[in-house]
Amino acid sequence: MFEMIKRLLKVAFTEWKLFYTDPAAVLLLVVAGVIYAFYYPTPYMNQTVSKVPVAVVDMDHTVMSRQLTEMSQATQQIDVRYIFSDVAEAEAALAREDIYGFMVIPHDMEKELRNGETVTLNVFTHGAYVMLHGNIGTAFTTCGLTLGATTKVKRIALGRKVPAAKAMAMRDPVPISIETMYNSTGSYSNYVVPSVLVLVLQQTLVIGLCVLGGPRAHRRFRRKYRETPVENEKLFYRYFGRSLAYFFHYCTFILFYHFVIYNIFDFPRRGELLPMVAFAVVFLFCVINFAMVLSQVFLRRETSMQVFLFLSMPVLFLGNFSWPLYLMPTWMQAVAYAIPSTFAIPAWLAIEQRGADIFDAAALLYPMAIQGVFYMVLGLVMTRIRDGATLINNTGDM
Amino acid sequence: MYFQHNLVLWLVLLVLPVGVSIFMLEVFSAEIVQHVPIGIVKQDRSQLADEFEQGLRASPVIEVKTMCAELSDCEHAIIRGDLTAFVVIPYDMERRALRLETPVVPIYSSGQNYLTNTFVTKEIRSVFSSIGANIYTKAMEDPVKVQLKSVGNIEANYQGFLGLGLATSIFHLACILGAVYVMSFPFRDRRIREFLAAAGGNRAVLWAASLLPLIILEWLAMVGVYAYARKVLAPMTLDEFVVVSAAQLIMVLACVGAGTSFVGITGNMRMSSSVAGVIAGPAFAFAGQTFPLMAMPIAVRGFAFILPLTHILKVQSSMLLGPIGKAHAWDSIEILIGMAIFWMLLGGRLMFFRWKWGAKREPRIVELDKLNAREAFKFKAELEAKIAEKKAVIAAKKAAKIAAKVAKAEAKKAAKEAK
Repeated sequence: MFEMIKRLLKVAFTEWKLFYTDPAAVLLLVVAGVIYAFYYPTPYMNQTVSKVPVAVVDMDHTVMSRQLTEMSQATQQIDVRYIFSDVAEAEAALAREDIYGFMVIPHDMEKELRNGETVTLNVFTHGAYVMLHGNIGTAFTTCGLTLGATTKVKRIALGRKVPAAKAMAMRDPVPISIETMYNSTGSYSNYVVPSVLVLVLQQTLVIGLCVLGGPRAHRRFRRKYRETPVENEKLFYRYFGRSLAYFFHYCTFILFYHFVIYNIFDFPRRGELLPMVAFAVVFLFCVINFAMVLSQVFLRRETSMQVFLFLSMPVLFLGNFSWPLYLMPTWMQAVAYAIPSTFAIPAWLAIEQRGADIFDAAALLYPMAIQGVFYMVLGLVMTRIRDGATLINNTGDM
Repeated sequence: MYFQHNLVLWLVLLVLPVGVSIFMLEVFSAEIVQHVPIGIVKQDRSQLADEFEQGLRASPVIEVKTMCAELSDCEHAIIRGDLTAFVVIPYDMERRALRLETPVVPIYSSGQNYLTNTFVTKEIRSVFSSIGANIYTKAMEDPVKVQLKSVGNIEANYQGFLGLGLATSIFHLACILGAVYVMSFPFRDRRIREFLAAAGGNRAVLWAASLLPLIILEWLAMVGVYAYARKVLAPMTLDEFVVVSAAQLIMVLACVGAGTSFVGITGNMRMSSSVAGVIAGPAFAFAGQTFPLMAMPIAVRGFAFILPLTHILKVQSSMLLGPIGKAHAWDSIEILIGMAIFWMLLGGRLMFFRWKWGAKREPRIVELDKLNAREAFKFKAELEAKIAEKKAVIAAKKAAKIAAKVAKAEAKKAAKEAK
């Protein structure tokens, strides 16, 4: 037993030493994990979008239309930069990107409202910007509906001869109150970055492990070490010893993200010790074995990097956080279930962002554990096959 | 020559960009968010409560997945991610509503997911206000209605918002990575002399011959994917197609030039691929289509400005606005032209130096790789003999130097003794 642990640790230590001596490995397994953790959150440092430049096309020119404009100006999300009298002027400003949306107050709005008629306010946004569409839409809609609510209360009060307070209650007898949990400020970085951090861990680990040849014996880039006992260890020691090195190395990354990155960028940190440890063990077990399998496919070190750079974006979208997985085509869902991040991202968000306890986390960790076992068996089989293959100098491009 | 039997090159240049772009368009094939799972804690067993429940169940945006007995059941479901929100219909809601006591209905929503949270809260608000309004003011219409329209993306679908941009960002990455691959693999495989010989020893010919097929292939693939995407989303006019295609060609030139420059600076595939990955990998997050540029810190905006992707996305998005947009696309095209010229010149200059320097270092290693075992053995023996000869010469020189030193010292000593 002691001998076995000693041999495993020897392989692990040799592999760990390689992380810091091979330039490609240093870049992927050490530098990338740190750099990306600072690089990705920087665009979202302001967290929310406020004071988006917009315009109001006022065709009514009345007290009520001016009140509506002032109300819009007072909102947090938008900044009314221009007041036009013509839609064409607003369209030109939209094309120049001086504004990203505008509201059209129709001719005779006040008159029609006072006559008991219905008025429609049209809000136009730039079709290319999803977030601005939401912000501008929410701000103008709130202002328009507030004006509508005021008018309706007046109509109820005058029509049914009731006091204003009663009229207000009659207009909306069951008001709702929305409590936004876990991201009360609506921060975009809180939404995106924690998930991306999990993906960074997965992608750097997969690419790094592929670059270092995974559990393979006789790795092409280590010509002068090929005959050393550690490189020629038995499959069991080579596979699990190297896995151990990656496991401990990436545990430090999880701690770094939890204690440093989350603090610097002020993300909510609700992770309890036990679920965090469980997550680290299951997630790293799964990703390391996944990478061990993939590392048997690539013969050239750079190829994995080139291929996985393209795949990062689909993998991110399959992670079930930016767009619901159940809305994707069935074949995509099937692909998603083969990737560790599909389960890891929701598990990490539940544990770290929403403070899931071990019972809540367990349901999220089981599928990942099953994936890990599957990839471990596959990885061992593939390594055995690969070890049996002769080492050819010109191995092609994969 | 470089297209021969090279699987990775075809993957990087064509298969992955086209495949991943179409994949990204398909991700949003549902177009809008639907069936967001919510829960209900129904404490009030009244007719009004049933009406609210039915209203929520009838909505296409939300799906009532759980009826929770306790508040904590729904809370844990949110923590696990099974639900996005839950509605608490409080005790005595109907009775209090009829007494005009305005009972508040709390909605708890997980803000963790920005997208589903926005949709679900909007929909719940709409259901409650429309059913609530029926109690006292059924016949009374809302005096003000607001219609939200997205110019160029009338249905406000996410394929239109994000699909096109994502496909373009994939090609942005493909052009840079493709250039990195094409320019650096003669260095990796130590075939610079072979490539230079094929180009007749002319580096300008080699530069043009290496880049032209890459540029044409990437451009055609990109235009094809864009045309396919626009066919799916909204039909495109001929002049729009011409303007966008021209802008895409310029972007391809700029990206290929940038990739060439990375190889020129780093001199090897691994490092230049890493640089390309760090810059172009997350470029979409910096290009301003998801999170707007104006809300980013000034330094990040500067970085976004130097990315060709930012400008090509502006060209594409201005096309959504029709003829007025087309007139303003020129500003971004001008910037792209500047970028293309700068990167192409820089990349070309750097590669000229790299080829010259690399060709000088290369020959001995190349030959060793190409020889068969017997020739390699012979070559190795010759090499060892040469090294031994050189070593002998150095040793002889060293011995002569030492002998001279000793003789000098002895002469000095003799002179001293004579004195």
